[in-house]
This record gives sequence, structure tokens and C-alpha cells, in this order.
Amino acid sequence: MNKTNELALDNCIKCSICVTHCPVAKVTDKFAGPKQNGPDLERFRLEEPLAVHPSIEYCSNCKNCEVACPSGVSISTMNCRAKGEYVAKNGAPLRDRLLANVELMGDFARLMPGLVNWGGKVKLFRELAERIFNISADMTLPQYASKTFYELYRENKPPVSAKKVVYFPGCYVTYNTPEVGLALVKVMAHNGVEVLVEEFNCCGVPLIANGLLADAKNNARNNMRKLEKYIDAGYQIVTSCPSCNLALRREYGELFDMEKAHRLAEQVIDVFEYLQVLAENGELKTDFKHLSLTVGYHQPCHLKAVGCGVPSKGILDLVPGVEVNDLDAGCCGLSGSYGFKKEKYAISQEIGRQLFQAVKKKGLNRVITECGMCQLQIHHGTGAEVYHPIQVLAEAYGLGSDIK
Amino acid sequence: MMNKKADVLVIGAGLSGLMAAAKAVEQGKKVLLVAKGMGALGLSSGCIDLWGYDIDQPDQVCSRPLQEIDKLIQVNPHHPYARVRDVLEESLDFFRKICAENGSPYLENEGGNWLLPTALGTMRPTYLVPASMAVKSLEEADKILVVGFKGLKDFYPDVLVANLQRNAELKPSCKLEPVLVEVGSEELKPAALAHRLERGEIIDKIVQQVKPLLSPGAVVLFPPVLGSSGGAGMAGRLADELGCPVYEVSNIPPALPGDRLQKTLLHHLKTRGVEVIIGSTVTTAHLEGNRCVKVTVRCLSGTMTISARVFVLATGSFLGGGLEADIEGIKESIFNLPVQIGAEEWSVQEFLDLKGQPFNKFGIAVNDHLQPVDESGQVLVKNLMVTGANLAGCNYPIEKCGNGVALATGYKAGKLVEVVHGE
Repeated sequence: MNKTNELALDNCIKCSICVTHCPVAKVTDKFAGPKQNGPDLERFRLEEPLAVHPSIEYCSNCKNCEVACPSGVSISTMNCRAKGEYVAKNGAPLRDRLLANVELMGDFARLMPGLVNWGGKVKLFRELAERIFNISADMTLPQYASKTFYELYRENKPPVSAKKVVYFPGCYVTYNTPEVGLALVKVMAHNGVEVLVEEFNCCGVPLIANGLLADAKNNARNNMRKLEKYIDAGYQIVTSCPSCNLALRREYGELFDMEKAHRLAEQVIDVFEYLQVLAENGELKTDFKHLSLTVGYHQPCHLKAVGCGVPSKGILDLVPGVEVNDLDAGCCGLSGSYGFKKEKYAISQEIGRQLFQAVKKKGLNRVITECGMCQLQIHHGTGAEVYHPIQVLAEAYGLGSDIK
Repeated sequence: MMNKKADVLVIGAGLSGLMAAAKAVEQGKKVLLVAKGMGALGLSSGCIDLWGYDIDQPDQVCSRPLQEIDKLIQVNPHHPYARVRDVLEESLDFFRKICAENGSPYLENEGGNWLLPTALGTMRPTYLVPASMAVKSLEEADKILVVGFKGLKDFYPDVLVANLQRNAELKPSCKLEPVLVEVGSEELKPAALAHRLERGEIIDKIVQQVKPLLSPGAVVLFPPVLGSSGGAGMAGRLADELGCPVYEVSNIPPALPGDRLQKTLLHHLKTRGVEVIIGSTVTTAHLEGNRCVKVTVRCLSGTMTISARVFVLATGSFLGGGLEADIEGIKESIFNLPVQIGAEEWSVQEFLDLKGQPFNKFGIAVNDHLQPVDESGQVLVKNLMVTGANLAGCNYPIEKCGNGVALATGYKAGKLVEVVHGE
């Protein structure tokens, strides 16, 4: 542990604001809480890295603790490292390794997406998976697209332009919602920006959340290798997934101490932040259609943790006929692989209940949110159609037909 | 580096910052609120203290806080209340209106102070209180039952009962009784307990253990865990089940009423279009002449700048992090504004001295528009207003005026955004 972290540890005044804001500790006794697992035990870990409470496996890595902390303590980073120590010593169940390995699952599913999607809905298979792997039979599984985003991108290459950015789509767009990536490519092209892509690896967040830090670091190294030439050439690296954004902007530097992480962080930007810059320079096209669309907005926890506010807000405010209602109802509860685990499914649904109620109470049947996992959970909990805000923008430009 | 733009940037998510943002957005401004964390309001009692004790007889609770503040301004024209007396009543009305609209009504005690029991069994004067805490009839109670929970740290009914007997004016025949109820958990955190109550899981268990101890004329006091959102719904439900009045008493952090108030006001702001960024620290201000053009912000993932037409500094005092003290002296952490010390000694030996600790009065001096001024009264940054615990001249722990000053100064800053921008 370096000096800065030690100082951050001393900053903890034990006010327990992090515990009050922990969505997991609120609904279950199984997690001892972010303060106890974080700064409290971290003091012991200065001497003994294995001073980890087993309840750490119930941390969902939502990072609300760190956002809420008024004293600048890196609580969730401490919890991530602690989980890493715990898993390094005790190992992770096969189930966690599978769920965390989003790329492997995606590559398997793309061989026969129709069959995988069908199988995911057959009760018998789900019950078997629950019995054998402890994967909840009740949670809706993500649907795999028939072609990956990369395949579709190659089929629909955007026109060449002098203005270029690199897009880091993330696994959910790559395997499950390539239409979000395509909407992004089209919106950027409409504004005269050419989107370049590389076949990146998973950003590593699902691995980090499952304590598989060595594997996550491996992914980070591979991605850095692919990103390096773009970083050096001064490209901006655009994301649509808040968790990928957080990994590239923060975790690569903070958890893995990687060379160039600092420069990477400066060049990574959320797609709507990028569009805001265009808008400020008077370069954003505003040839919007009137949409007559009322949606709820859910801010993903990892977008809160990035700390750039709600970048889509300023842009969607420009579109005539779009009414965005901030739901402000806390964490969705899914937290990536967390809510798929048998023993955590009920916790995950209980955390999300407040959000589901907010959607239902407002009578909304369309919701927008940036995170793919939040999209899945909100659909699972409410039946509402859930979109990425970029799809709304593509629709407004007359470039998309995703919004039903 | 990313730059964000707003009409008004409020720095701080405590009561004064939230009020400033609420009043500014009401006037149609594009408001951005940035705070380094969830901060001191969430650690507070959740009650709005206006003025606690009589100025001439400091051992007497003051009966008319607004009139007492008029008297205060005569004897101490440097108190922050002197800067906001013109908007004090309307700021309180505005606060009550938005709390009520968001389902967390705050009650007034006919213009006087409430005198409410604390978890330590002391009686505490305060002006506006959440409906669940508004104890009206303690002096008429024939019995006071104090309910604690096994496994809930920081609330001990025996302590409350022993001290309340000494501190409160009760009927001579009033019986006080503590009880610890068991709800089936070894360790209980307030937020988790509140959640389980809201889910209805443990209400029967509580009623079964409490009801047999009640007699006619009884009042039941609970720790402040009756639900995670505002409003008296849970206290009301328990009152119905038990057949007698049920109240929450104020407690030390992490007590929920302060947290509920913060969430209520944040929810109000977000649903009205204020963009909120929590977890990001404003580090530096960039001035052109005597105007601020933008600030640098350190986020959890890198840095950005925010430019605005008007800025509100609501970062609090030493606890909130707005003021920093080291061996060199005391500084205001963003604009490096001069901090008014006004005392030889920074502290007195007796920590809980009734005259108060001098350091609590340290802060920024402002004019009637809440703009920071130097010793000669010259405005230092024209498009900046300073609010709440950042301000010099009040000793809130002793005077019982912290949230009152925060509420009124925040409101006034929000109201004056147009005026200050035009200057």
C-alpha cells in the first residue's frame, strides 16, 4: 500500500455515511458493511493482507460508499483489493469465474445465439443451472445478438472523416446490444466524426467485482496494448458503458498502477460528454425530429462514480418533444454478475425494488439508462422497454428505429 | 480536460447548498451542484434549529426564536442572521413547502421552540421538526416507554430514561420504563432496521413485545429508525398498532432524520432538473479580475472544469471541509478567501464550555448580498456568494442556529443569483 492510500485511511472519521448509503447493507445482514470491510479492516491489512472478513463476497462493487464519503477515503478500492486477497487465498467458485468471464460467455453464445437465448428461457435448464452452478433460475438472462457489434460495424463502416475517435464498446454492446454501438457510430458520423474500433477485451470490471484481480489486470494489459497507439496519437476514446469508462479512467491506474494509465484517463470520454463539447463549440447538429417521447431516467451507480454528472442530460434537453424524468431511486441492484448468483438474487431484487416502484408509480413504460446491466434489471423488474440514451438521440436525428 | 457549463454552480450538498440550488432552479436557472461527499447534513439531527436560548438568560429556552433573532441582531450585527433577516420567514416557508411537496412535512410549534428529548435524555430546543419527531405531550404523559433494539448500537433506553427523569418536566406520577425489543438480528444498523420496518417484517414482533407494557396515557419513544424516507408513515403505523402516540428522538450519527432530509432535498432538485455530482471535489477557482470564471474539480476519475455565471460556496466549516486548519493558520480551501478569526485563542480548554469554542465562529465575512468582503467591506469576488457554516460569526453548537443559518443564507443566495450576476 502506498503513502497516499495510508493517508486516505487516516481520513476516515468513522461517520458511517458510507454504511447508510450502502444498498447491500440496507437490505441484508450478510454484508458487514463498507466501513467495516474497508477502512476498519484496512488498518489490520497494513500488517496482514489477509485480514479480510468473509462477508466481503457480498460487496456488489457499486461504489456508492466512495461517492458518499465526505472525507475522500477510497472505500470501494479497499473493498476491491480485500476481495482480491480473499479470492487469491480461498479461490473463487467455478460459477463466479464463468459469470465474471463475460467475453468467454459471449464468444460461446455467438456460436449459436438462437439456441442459447432459447435455452435461457427453458425452466428445466435454468433449474439445472441453479442446482449445478448456483446461477439463479429467476433472473432474466441477457439476450445474445445474432451478430456482434464488431461484425455489424465491419458491415456498416462509417464514412471516412478527418475527425476520428476510438470507441470502446464493452462486452454488453459487443454481444448483447450491438444496436447501441451502431446508434453511436451513426450519431457520430452524422456529426462528422468517424468512429474507429478495435477488438478490445473486456474492460475487467466483472473480474474485479468477483475478486479475480490477476485476470482483470491481464485484460487491462491487453487493452492498453491495443489503446497505446491511439493514446500516443492523441485520440479520444469514447465509451457508452459507464463501467468500462470507470475502468479505463480510474481502475487501470488505481488498482493496477499501469504505466500510461494517467494519460489514458485524460483521453477517455463518455459519448455524451464528447457531444457536449461539440455542442459548446457550435459543432453539434441540431436537426432533430420532434419525438413525443416520455421516459424515465436511471443514473447507473458507476456513472455516479465517474463523477461527470449526467452527460446525456444537456443533449437530450435539446431534442424537441423528449421529456426525461429523473427517477432518482438508487441502485438497480443487479451490479453485473451479482444479481445472477443464486444466494444474491433476492438481495439484488430487494435493492432494485425502490427503482421498480418509481418506474411503475410514474406509469412509465420506457426508461433510459447508460448501463447495459441496469437496462436488463429494470426490464426484468418492471417490464418497461429500456434504452441507452444514444438510441434516443439516433432516433431524433432520424438515424434509428430502436425506440418502440 | 472536460468543461461543464451552468448558470449557477453550487459547491456543497449540505442544507445551505441544497436550499440555494432549490431557490435558483425555481427561477429557471440551469443549476449544477457539486459536492465532495454526502456531508454534514446527513450527520445532523434532521431538525431545523433557529435559536435555542434566551440571550439575556442563557439557561432559559427562548420562547420566540424569531423575536430573539431580532434582539440578537441589535447586540451582534456581525451574526450571519443579520445578513438574512429580510428573508428569514420566507426561507422557512419555502423550506416547509418543498419538504411537504416531497412527502416529508416539517412542523412548527406555533412560533415557539419545540423541546424534544434526545437519545441521552436531555431536552433540546429546536424550531422545525419532521412530523415523526414532533413530541407534543410529554408533560401530560402518564407513562413514557422508551423502546430500544437488541443489537442496535448507540441507543440505550436505560440511559435515556435515567436522564429524562432529571431533565424533563413530567407529571410527578409519570412512570418511565425502558425496554429492549428483540427482532432477531445480532447486529443492527439503523438503515437496515429502517428498511426491515418498512417491509413490515418486524412490526408484529415489536408490537407483541411493546404492547403489554403500555397503559392508558402512555407515550412511546423510539430511536430515529422508523423508516428510511421522510414522513411520519411508520411512526403513525406503530401508533395505530400500539394505540398511543409514537415518536422518534434525535440521536448521534448515523441517525436517519438528517439523511432523510438530505435525500428529500436532493430528490427535489434532481426531479426539477438540477444536475448533481457527488463525490467530486472542487479544488481551485479561476478568477478574472474580481469575477470567478470557472473552477477545477477533482472527480473520482480525473479532473474537469466547470464554468458558471454565479457561484455559491456552501462547503461548510472544519467538519464539512470548507475550512482547513494547520500549523500555518486557517484557510478557506477553494477561493482562498480570508478567514475571519476574531479571537486570540482558537479554543478553550473545556471542550463543552457553555460559552462555546471560539473556532466555531471562524469563517468568511460577507455583505448583505452574501458576497465575500475584506476588512474594509470591499467585495472580493463579485459573482460568488457564501452560505451556511462557511460564514463567520455564529457559534452554532451553543446558539442552536446551525441549520437555521444554513437554510436562510442558502435560500437568499439562490434568490439573489440574478442580482449578483448583474453586479
